[in-house]
Amino acid sequence: MQGKLFIAVISILVLPLMGNLLLTGKGRPVYIVTDSIPYPLVYPVSFGNRINIPADNPLTREGVFLGRMLFYERLLSANNRISCASCHKQAFAFADNKAFSDGIDTVETTRNAMSLTNLLWVRHFFWDGRANSLEEQAAIPLSHPHEMGLSPDKAAIKLQHTPDYPRLFRAAFGSDSITGARVVKAIAQFERTLISANSSYDQYLKGVYTPTPEESRGMALFMNNPSPERKIRGAGCGHCHGGPKLYLELFHNNGLDSIPKDRGIEQLTGLATDRGRFRVPTLRNIAVTAPYMHDGRFTTLEQVLDHYSDHIQESASLSPVLRNNTNEPGGKSLHLTGEEKKDIIAFLQMLTDSAFLTNPDFTNPHTHPH
Amino acid sequence: MQQKHRHILFVLLLLLCSYSVTLAQTVPTIKVEGEVTHPLSLTGQDLAAMKRTEVSATDRDGKEHHYTGVALADILQQAGATIGSQLRGENMAKYLLVKSSDGYEVVFSLPELDTAFTNRIVILADQQDGQPLPQGKGPWRIVVPGEKRPARWIWQVSTMVVRFAKE
Repeated sequence: MQGKLFIAVISILVLPLMGNLLLTGKGRPVYIVTDSIPYPLVYPVSFGNRINIPADNPLTREGVFLGRMLFYERLLSANNRISCASCHKQAFAFADNKAFSDGIDTVETTRNAMSLTNLLWVRHFFWDGRANSLEEQAAIPLSHPHEMGLSPDKAAIKLQHTPDYPRLFRAAFGSDSITGARVVKAIAQFERTLISANSSYDQYLKGVYTPTPEESRGMALFMNNPSPERKIRGAGCGHCHGGPKLYLELFHNNGLDSIPKDRGIEQLTGLATDRGRFRVPTLRNIAVTAPYMHDGRFTTLEQVLDHYSDHIQESASLSPVLRNNTNEPGGKSLHLTGEEKKDIIAFLQMLTDSAFLTNPDFTNPHTHPH
Repeated sequence: MQQKHRHILFVLLLLLCSYSVTLAQTVPTIKVEGEVTHPLSLTGQDLAAMKRTEVSATDRDGKEHHYTGVALADILQQAGATIGSQLRGENMAKYLLVKSSDGYEVVFSLPELDTAFTNRIVILADQQDGQPLPQGKGPWRIVVPGEKRPARWIWQVSTMVVRFAKE
């Protein structure tokens, strides 16, 4: 009896010090003794707990810090000039402020760099949802010959020869060994901390911000589905962009082209119903993430509103929610007035989270530029 | 000269190959996975060969339509999910997660779909009023008769997964 009590006491004392459960290559769980401290994730209850953290990569303070170092680390590129942050800039909610981004050479990316915000709740990454985890996602731009041009494994060898990184990897993962898998794990840990939950809209949901009349009208238009028979005017944006996170994991053809140049998810599945289908992105910080759409074709929110209001292009794979979405009996399109578009844009500006854009926990941690 | 012609022919052949590759379309399928003894990958042909069920139900347009397809209970039976006499005990904590290719997802508890529990027949429809489903909603859509809002009438169904609720 006393023996059992002793074991229980020892377990209570020792287990928290033992760090994290890690999975070996063969899938056997092993405890690796590290002194890393779990990273507390703080977010509103309304965001829900359907979060995406692989069992073998729990967040620790050391892992997140290492990930932040690596996110801003130019050694991860073939020419030592490009880091993740080159195309994912905090001031633009970790998006790029141009349609296509430059990597290590002059060949631009083929799709617009996405904002990195509230990725904790994303389960399929990229415009076409092809990666199922941030770990898998991070490896792709690292290895891409026109983006960073260096596989995580090769980047790991470079880092192994630096004075600081072996120590940082030991703190995060329990040993000095730097591997490609650990590089992407640490980056993924940092990216999961990029939580935005303090826009005026969040404050309004908490009851501590009163929207202006313009913002209120815009919010109603944003959330309402148009219903001419019930005399309700709306833009129906919330159908795909709604909820407290302003993000639902959906993939639609949003009527940009009848015959899309970039066929989107169809390239992966070969299904005609997936033609021109892309992620419905988050609208958080949308006012600072121009240009818009997968190809960055719109430079202003006014152009985006004009598109959804008046220029939806018909095709077989056009989303059903954008068909006959109209404010006029028997009409085909929304036909929002100029005032209505202005009101919706006023609401979209409520989604800017300045604290996120300037959060010191997300800035470049390197004391000397690489 | 002949060599040059051969090269041109080769390039043309390559172009033709790549053209036919880009035109190749995959046949849509529905996957039935998870806690089932026989995971399925069903094509339209497979579903046409199964027992056909017809239901009438009111869509978002407020009008009643006739839908034809296959009862979910029959699909689950074929996949070897625990329905019918096996739907008891711990199997009562199972659910069916239905996924659309657009990312939308809805759940049903197994008893909601089992004819031993309910007279309401939920179907995977491939026809509406004798026609293929409208563009953008096909080839398959769940139809739940008698529900006030058609929010679980998930369209472009791609995957159905039986899982245990784990708490």
